[in-house]
Formats: sequence, C-alpha cells, structure tokens
Amino acid sequence: MQKILIIEDDINVREELKELLINSNYEVVALADFKNSLEQILNINPDLVLLDINIPYLNGEELLKNLRKESNIPVIMVTSKNNEIDEVLSMSYGADDYITKPYNPTILLLRIGAILKRMDNIPDSIKYKDLLIYPRQALIKKQDKEIILTKNEMIIFSYLLTNKNEIVSRDELMTELWNNDEYINDNALTVNISRLRDKLEELGYDDMIETRKGQGYILL
Amino acid sequence: MKITSFFKDKLFNLILYLIAYGILLSMLFVFHVSSSLILAFTIVYAFLVLLIFLYEYYRRKYFYKQLFNNLKNLDEKYLISEMIREPNFLDGKILCQVLYETNKSMKENVNDYEFKLNDFKEYIETWIHEVKLPLATLTLKNHNSKNKSSIKEIKKIDNYVEQVLYYARSENSEKDYLIKEISLKKVIHKLALENKDAFLENNVTLEVDITDIKVLTDAKWLEFIINQIISNSLKYYRKDVDSFVKITAFKNEDKTILSIYDNGIGISKTDLPQVFNKSFTGNNGRIINSSTGMGLYIAKKMCLKLGHEITIESKVGEYTKVNIIFYNNDYFAVLK
Repeated sequence: MQKILIIEDDINVREELKELLINSNYEVVALADFKNSLEQILNINPDLVLLDINIPYLNGEELLKNLRKESNIPVIMVTSKNNEIDEVLSMSYGADDYITKPYNPTILLLRIGAILKRMDNIPDSIKYKDLLIYPRQALIKKQDKEIILTKNEMIIFSYLLTNKNEIVSRDELMTELWNNDEYINDNALTVNISRLRDKLEELGYDDMIETRKGQGYILL
Repeated sequence: MKITSFFKDKLFNLILYLIAYGILLSMLFVFHVSSSLILAFTIVYAFLVLLIFLYEYYRRKYFYKQLFNNLKNLDEKYLISEMIREPNFLDGKILCQVLYETNKSMKENVNDYEFKLNDFKEYIETWIHEVKLPLATLTLKNHNSKNKSSIKEIKKIDNYVEQVLYYARSENSEKDYLIKEISLKKVIHKLALENKDAFLENNVTLEVDITDIKVLTDAKWLEFIINQIISNSLKYYRKDVDSFVKITAFKNEDKTILSIYDNGIGISKTDLPQVFNKSFTGNNGRIINSSTGMGLYIAKKMCLKLGHEITIESKVGEYTKVNIIFYNNDYFAVLK
C-alpha cells in the first residue's frame, strides 16, 4: 500500500482528507506538530506528500525548498491561494502538482494517482487470467485470438483492471474517461460497456464485467 | 482669447485713458499750446496706450493658448498643473498657484481613497482564502459521507466566492497576473473535469475540438473567464433538444480564436449588446433566478486587462457563441 503524508494545519480538513485517502486504499499519515517537519517527513519516508502552503513555523514553500535538497519525494501543493504566481513559484521549488482549495475530491485523487503512476512504470503488457492486455495498442490477446478495443473501451477496461475485484462506480469510470479527454455522456458509457462485454464474450469471458445494482461494475 | 473680448474686459481701463486724455487735452487748450504740439502729444499718447494694451494682450494670449492646447491634448486633464510654464503676469501666477494647491489636495484625497481601497481589497483576498478552508472541509465531508446533495450548493458558493475574488483583482491591481504560454487544451481539460457533474446531470454533451494550440495569457484568469461562459451554457440550455456545448479553437498568423458554442435558449437582440454590462440580467435572468449579471461583466474586464477580446453572437431559441480572441504579441516573440 502506498503511503501518503498529509501536512495541513486545519484539523477538519486534515481529518476529512485522511478519511478520503483511507477510503481510496492509501496508507495515510498526518503531521500534527509542525516543528521539525522536515525531519519528520524524512523519517516517515512517504510515497507522496500533500503539502499545505500556510502551515506554522516554516511555510510550505520554504519547507519544500529544504525538502528538495534532501529528497525527491513527489509533493502536491495544496492551497487556498488561487493565483498563477504562487503556482509558478511552487513548481519552481520542485512541487509535482498544485491544487487549490476547495478541491474536487475526485480530481485530487486523480492527480495523486497520476503522480504515483508516473513513479512506477506502466508495463507494456498486463496478464490477467489467460489474457494478455496491451494498453498502448488497445489490444487484448488470448492465445491466437485477438480483439481490438476503441480508446474509450480500453480506458474503461484498464480502469476496471487496476481495480479488479472491487466495485467501480459509474462516476469513477466517467471521471477516468473525462480525465483522458473523452467527454462522453451517460448513454455513451452504457453503450461502451456493453460493447466491451460483447468483445470479451468473443474471447469466451461471458460475465467478466458484472453489474452491481446501484453501485457500479466489478471485474471478476 | 479673442482681441475683442480682451478689449471688452479692459473697457474700464480704456475709458479711464480716454478721460485722462480729455483732461490733458482741455488743459493744453486752456494754456493755448500750439496745435502741432497737441497733435504730436496725441500721437505719442495713443501710441503708448495701444502699446500697453497690445503687450498685455499678447502675453496673455500666448499663455492661455498654450494652456488650452495642453489641456486638449491631455488624457488626464488633472495633470495640467504639471504642464504650465509660470507666466510673468500676476493673474496668471495666481492661477498657477491655485491650480497647484487644488491639485495637491486632490492628489492627497485620491491617495487616501486608493489606500482605503487597497486595504479593502487585501481584506477581501484574505477573507476569500479563509472562507475556502471551510468550503474545502465541507466538500470533503460531503464526499466522504457519500451524501452528494450539498456538493452542488457548495460548488455554487465556491463559484460566487471566486467571482468576488476576480472582481477585486480585475478592478485595481496590475501585479496579480502572470502572462506565459498556456495550452488551451489543458485549460479546457481542467474546466471539463471540474464541470463534469453539471454536464452529466443536465445531460448536456461536451464536444471539444482543440489541437495543441498555445496562447499567451494568465492560466488562472483564463480559467475563470471560460468557466463563466461554460456555466452560462450549463444554466441556459434547452430541455427539448439534445443540448451540447462545443468548444473549438483556431489559429492564424496574428490571432487565436477560442469559440464556445452552445445550442441553448439564446439571447434576444435587445439584450445582446448589454450582456457585458455590470449587473445586467435581461430576459434570461428573469427566467432563471440565479443570475447576478456579474459573470460576463468580470470576464470582459479581465479580457481587457489581459489584452484579449471577447465577443458574443446569439439567436433566440437557437444558439449562443462566445469568442475569445488572443492576439499574437510580437513583444513575447522577441523575448523567446
């Protein structure tokens, strides 16, 4: 499980963030005391840091500057200051991303996911059961048979695959699609999923994607 | 200054000179001075009087002509006191003194207001940063509790707060934005994600057709501007058709045009010229109550500051199309 460190001085936001990230299957640590925050970060050694700019003692930008001298841990700056200058400044100090409050939680999760994914490489092909999936070519192979997916279908299938054996809501799928510049509507999603099912059926997997009423889909 | 009006003004002096001349003349007659001496005296007297008047007239004429010329050419007329060369006659000197004093007092007054306004603006900015914190907490709380009913309302509050922020910024500051090369595709992508729920909920399709076009602007400001336009499209869509919003961009040598087209309820001909006015809500505002008439007003203002142009065309019951025009700037081309 990947470890995320929250550095945020407002207790309410901190607790809610913690809950959000725990629900999304991350291990979460939060700093409660901001003295020696740099040493604390290095001791905890997280996979990613969510860093608020306005924190006591040393502000976020200074902390980031000092942290960059020691380590390359991915950092997302979180702030209520919505202007370009602060963003450019943070980026120049070495932040990996910059989000302004009040952030949309799904977008926050997407950004975190994107940065963590960038850290570990995406393999050319993924094996699932006796299928070989090539995300970049949008191909699924089974021995000598192969099917070609459209871009949308591939995005949906990849997302279900990374969250296999878990229920994925339509909203999550939608966010993932929109995040890949595919601004489709509700009907189109339904159509895409049924096409994807048809294609999987050709490979002999009739019920690979199951519908869970009122909750979403699950890849079995 | 016309010569006739000058003499009219000096009529009293003229009469005095004439009276003096009359008295002197009668005295000369009483003493039986020879008529040729009287003639010579008259000529010298008339010549001197004329000289006095003409001298007075021309030095004034020169001064006032310059003053009015400068005044005409000045954009900021109150700067006139900086543009006067002090004249050598008393009433002109007095005028300069008065102008200088009133100007000084006005400057102090304006400074005072500027100071107060800046103070207020700073307070508004801090207040907005503060209010965003509880908004963030509320958003997260709602998300975690799976109770999405309030999220829409929170988003609305956030939008209004954002409007205040950018209104304050567009009003009176020069240093709040940073121009750099921005990818239009990225900006639209971000806005699409932010407005995803509203698009899906209202069943409005989003079509984006933008290749990799870059423009010189401030990303945050541009996001705000486009967001105002998109939220209008999402407010004024038609329920009886397949609603869509289509965002396209096209670039030629001297400019880039970003178009946001929707097939919504449109804007009537009489309202159209006024949509960028402050607090204008028009017909559509009466149909939908949540109009403040500030969104497009602020958007236009920000466009002006950034040096972009914003135009709108529409037909009732058919479409609305907003164009944002970015002019290519040679200055930045040189910088690169």
